[in-house]
Amino acid sequence: MAVYHVPKPGFIEWLSDLGSRSVFIPEAKPPGRERLQAGTSRTGAAWVRQLAGQEQQTPALDLPRASQSCKGFLLPAAETVAKYGRAAGQPVAVAEAEIVLVGVRACELRAFAYLDKVMLEGEFVEPLYKARRESAIVVSCDCVDCAETCHCVLVGGRPYAEEGSDVNVTPLDDAFLVEPLSDKGRELLASKSRDWAEATDEHLDRRRQLREAMVERLEKQNAEFTLGATDENPPALPEADEESWQRFAADCVECGACTNICPTCHCFYLFDHAVAADSAERVRTWDSCLLGTYHRMAGGAGMKLTPRPELRSRLANRILHKFVYSPQQYGVLGCVGCGRCIDACLGAIDIRKVVEDLKQ
Amino acid sequence: MISENPYVPEPVKLVEVIDETPTIKTLVLAPEKPMSFRSGQFLQLTLPGVGEAPFTPSSSPLEPERIAITILKTGMLTDRLHECRPGEMLGLRGPFGKGYPVDELDGTEVLVVGGGVGLAPLRALIHVLLARLARLKRVSIKYGARGTAELLYRRQYDQWAGADKVDFTCTIDNPEPGWDGRTGVVTTLLKDLDIDRGNATAFVCGPSIMLRFTTYELMSEGLSADQIYLSMNRRMSCGMGKCGRCNIGPYYLCKDGPDMKYSLIQNYPNVF
Repeated sequence: MAVYHVPKPGFIEWLSDLGSRSVFIPEAKPPGRERLQAGTSRTGAAWVRQLAGQEQQTPALDLPRASQSCKGFLLPAAETVAKYGRAAGQPVAVAEAEIVLVGVRACELRAFAYLDKVMLEGEFVEPLYKARRESAIVVSCDCVDCAETCHCVLVGGRPYAEEGSDVNVTPLDDAFLVEPLSDKGRELLASKSRDWAEATDEHLDRRRQLREAMVERLEKQNAEFTLGATDENPPALPEADEESWQRFAADCVECGACTNICPTCHCFYLFDHAVAADSAERVRTWDSCLLGTYHRMAGGAGMKLTPRPELRSRLANRILHKFVYSPQQYGVLGCVGCGRCIDACLGAIDIRKVVEDLKQ
Repeated sequence: MISENPYVPEPVKLVEVIDETPTIKTLVLAPEKPMSFRSGQFLQLTLPGVGEAPFTPSSSPLEPERIAITILKTGMLTDRLHECRPGEMLGLRGPFGKGYPVDELDGTEVLVVGGGVGLAPLRALIHVLLARLARLKRVSIKYGARGTAELLYRRQYDQWAGADKVDFTCTIDNPEPGWDGRTGVVTTLLKDLDIDRGNATAFVCGPSIMLRFTTYELMSEGLSADQIYLSMNRRMSCGMGKCGRCNIGPYYLCKDGPDMKYSLIQNYPNVF
């Protein structure tokens, strides 16, 4: 399969040509804003939307993965999923333009594959996720830098993509190595790629070296962990009622940051509200299994209103879902090793340490 | 019926409200489009603009044009549902879940154990069992309520008990003047069970504490965890195995249940 060696302006021109779509890129550090953005180089850039007519910025592909995951592009934090009244309800269609996500990392592609299993497989299909997912164009990017919390290599991942996106790019000096990974990717590149030079063996060698160096760096920064989990070989963990979870639950403040920022956490809640005398909307909103209200049911005195009244049971359930239940439910781990939950945790809970300490 | 967008409720007309007990009403609903379900499958009932909650119909799946849902007044939504009057439009989504494994019961003894409003979903099962009694060895129904005022579907007990191969026993928690039946919680009806232990299946529905003690009692009576189905209704929101709320271990009660074989879940914490 062809790999192209494209000087940065040529790649930017291609992005500009995607025109009518909504293009989201990781934002480069604006000049002179280093102090304000001090954290950026460690945890990665923020996602910004390129507006039509605006000069196309160079996406910050040489920074670590973005601080937010891409989950919200496919499954917004809150959206109306149905409108209904006294008569038959109406489905809600996705209103916005097709999205292009540029600079998506390999860990995030695994998260997409996971969400696909949850939202698209089985008897029911999530209609809004499906519409966005099918129309989205995903341009992935090799990691040439990583956050201190990145640990894809501990969960069977690699910091570069060989499948799962439409186009993959590798930053290489003042150029990108651009590789289409899907038919859609090949089509999108077709108008430009005929003018692009194919990557030389030397370029491909450099790419291989960069990839190996990144793997080595990730293995080194995670050397204290022996997790070595894969989709096929998940770790064994104690069930939730065991005292051992309490050690970690003691640091949890039940803020839900880890579930919000996680690229695979997908729990949601449906609530209805009246918008007029005869019409109502149903809204799907992110929810967090860590919160005490999450499972709360109606009931009178003497009833057990939540099956997991203890915080330690809820924390255990989240981590068990990632490492034990997901492999049973979907055949894949629920943790892709992006490390965002570690960055986000107010109680400094490190999911690597939790699993390392508790694995049997 | 699964609409293209599974979040959209199908409109249903409330045609009758039956006062069952001081705290329980049955809403009889007529869907605009036929909505077939299997006994034990559940529906999401929408009160427009207020919200929805999961209920397993208490009526026979053989009559899908008149769906009865029996509701205990126990929270914000059910308080409002109790105020609904015939003629009002409500919404339904579903059906969801697996339903009772009725086809696997041929030639066996079936034990139905209900506590309080837990008799509601079991009534749909009882209707189906009565319709296929010829294939069953026996049906034994055990029911417990707090007091005589809270005995659900009281007028139907004689009809059930009158059927060939069916026995019905009920109990109230404490003695009451004028009550000459059994007293004590429902587990007291399970002592020294007169059933063919190796060839029986139990279906249990009731509050969490009742499920727990009934399960222990059935196990001590010699039933195995494989022979006990528990109605594990939790905070199900989407009903489709996506929202993640109703898990016990790797199982989602909305799609793998809501009635779960106890052997599948017994090793997970927080089952009861």
